[in-house]
Amino acid sequence: MSHLATVNLEGYVPILLLLLMAIGFAVINIIATLVIGPQRDGGVKSMTYESGMNPFGTARKRFNVRFYIIAMTFLVFDIEVIFLYPWAATYSNIDPRTPEGAVFLGRVLFFMATTVIAYVYGYRKGVFRFD
Amino acid sequence: MPSPFPLSPQLFVGCITVLVMIHVILGIIPFLIYLERKISAYIQDRIGPNRVGFDLGLPLLKTLTRGFGFWGLGQSLADGLKFILKEDYRPFGADKWLFTLAPACAVVPAFVGWAIIPWGGHVSVPEINLFGANLVSAGTALVAVADINIGFVFLLAVAAVGVYGVTLGGWASNNKYSFLGGLRCSAGMISYEIPMGLSILAVLLVTGTVRPSLIVEQQISSPLSGTGGWLFLAQPLACLLFYTCILAEANRAPFDNAEAEQELVGGYHTEYSAMRFALFFLAEYAHMMTSSAFCVVLFFGGYHVPGLWLTYPEETGLLAVLVKVAVLVTKVLLSVCFMMVIRWTIPRIRYDQVLKLCWQSLIPASITLVVATSIMVYQGWTATWQLFVMNVLVGGAMIALFPLLPKADVNKRLPMAGSRFNPLPGEPVITGPVGGIARADDPIGGLAGSAFAPSR
Repeated sequence: MSHLATVNLEGYVPILLLLLMAIGFAVINIIATLVIGPQRDGGVKSMTYESGMNPFGTARKRFNVRFYIIAMTFLVFDIEVIFLYPWAATYSNIDPRTPEGAVFLGRVLFFMATTVIAYVYGYRKGVFRFD
Repeated sequence: MPSPFPLSPQLFVGCITVLVMIHVILGIIPFLIYLERKISAYIQDRIGPNRVGFDLGLPLLKTLTRGFGFWGLGQSLADGLKFILKEDYRPFGADKWLFTLAPACAVVPAFVGWAIIPWGGHVSVPEINLFGANLVSAGTALVAVADINIGFVFLLAVAAVGVYGVTLGGWASNNKYSFLGGLRCSAGMISYEIPMGLSILAVLLVTGTVRPSLIVEQQISSPLSGTGGWLFLAQPLACLLFYTCILAEANRAPFDNAEAEQELVGGYHTEYSAMRFALFFLAEYAHMMTSSAFCVVLFFGGYHVPGLWLTYPEETGLLAVLVKVAVLVTKVLLSVCFMMVIRWTIPRIRYDQVLKLCWQSLIPASITLVVATSIMVYQGWTATWQLFVMNVLVGGAMIALFPLLPKADVNKRLPMAGSRFNPLPGEPVITGPVGGIARADDPIGGLAGSAFAPSR
């Protein structure tokens, strides 16, 4: 518990205020236009726009598998980037030119090398071709 | 529960900053839209909006302003009023709640993202007493919404949430154009988050902190003295990568494929009308301001102007803070104007080229830059000119080596034996059209024959 007590959450209170104001802004605007604007429903007007044709089926269909692949590769790289942030923030604060600094750098480079290998594999597999 | 009073100076200043800056940003955005229309008009040799003043059509105000147009500055106000008065329409088959939630999801991250920007450096707060009670204790505080120690991680977290607005908007509309636009947009936005994070990483390796206020203070020293100076001097390649990525993150041209009119009508907001559409629009401009502010804080010295003594961190008076805020907002507006000029100058990139640019060029370049920077830090070569030379070398090497990279060779077009283009050995090759093509004077099967008769 002692380390939790040192975390100062007071700094986040204005962010909460900002969040509430942003949400309030969005909600008030949406409600205002619902209340003030006219409401005339029905008929052909309720069709979705499909370049003037009658809408053909639903829009929620299966889509290209490349979007799934992008999502998966994004997860790999984004998590790698987030893990590197603490290292980047501390690395120049320790004396880098010591054996500990070299080991620290070596471990991080090994960690990045795993991702680079994944990247090269994906590149050879054609994951990053979008034509 | 203990009494929250007296408030700490940081909490007090943070709340004041929220209340002031949200109005400043909301007030600037309509004029950014006006500015964009004016810039596009001048680039295209037009005049742009120049008629709408502030008389709102009322006779009294008309006589007061004597028909003066205020150079069209009232245009955005008129547009905003029109948005509220229009019908908020939801098409058949759209998801009721998600359709309403999507604009809110777009606008909230765009407004929360700037919470960590140090608008005006530190300010000294006097002790504030009201009716004998001590409300705020004395001290110095940072003129930012929050002075939190996670800094730029907060930026990445909030920027990632912004994807939900467009994705949900595209999915909930039950429109194929919207759906494709939302898909494209989400894929593009998440792709460009990676080089954005990596280029920030290259800067953090040099500064050694993730706090934006400390990053700005480190830039306030002359680059002639070795380290220091605005970071675009030390990391020009990271600056270029970051600016490209914020263009793509804000869905700005040349990366605005989510709303490519020729292909997707309006993209994810095709079915939106009234204020829900306006919120998407507002979110785009707020996103431009937020990301420009981060670019300025990271690479262009934040509130600092070389030589202007009021913009140095030692000055904590109220006048100095106001000057610093004005300097930062001016820099942000210059960056936003640059984005607008880019939009009306560079044509839109094709969608597969957008993703290709990210995955095949920006990500390898940013990873190489991070590795090179970490080795420079290990060697202790962190002077500004050394980092500049390293950036130029890395950028030049990337450009020089790019044509030599092996091409991916999967999904090769397999030769289909026996087809028209790959005939079997000995098979006669027919190059001309083989029947089946109806012409006015030569219908299929001849004039007298039936439609199913074999042609000549």
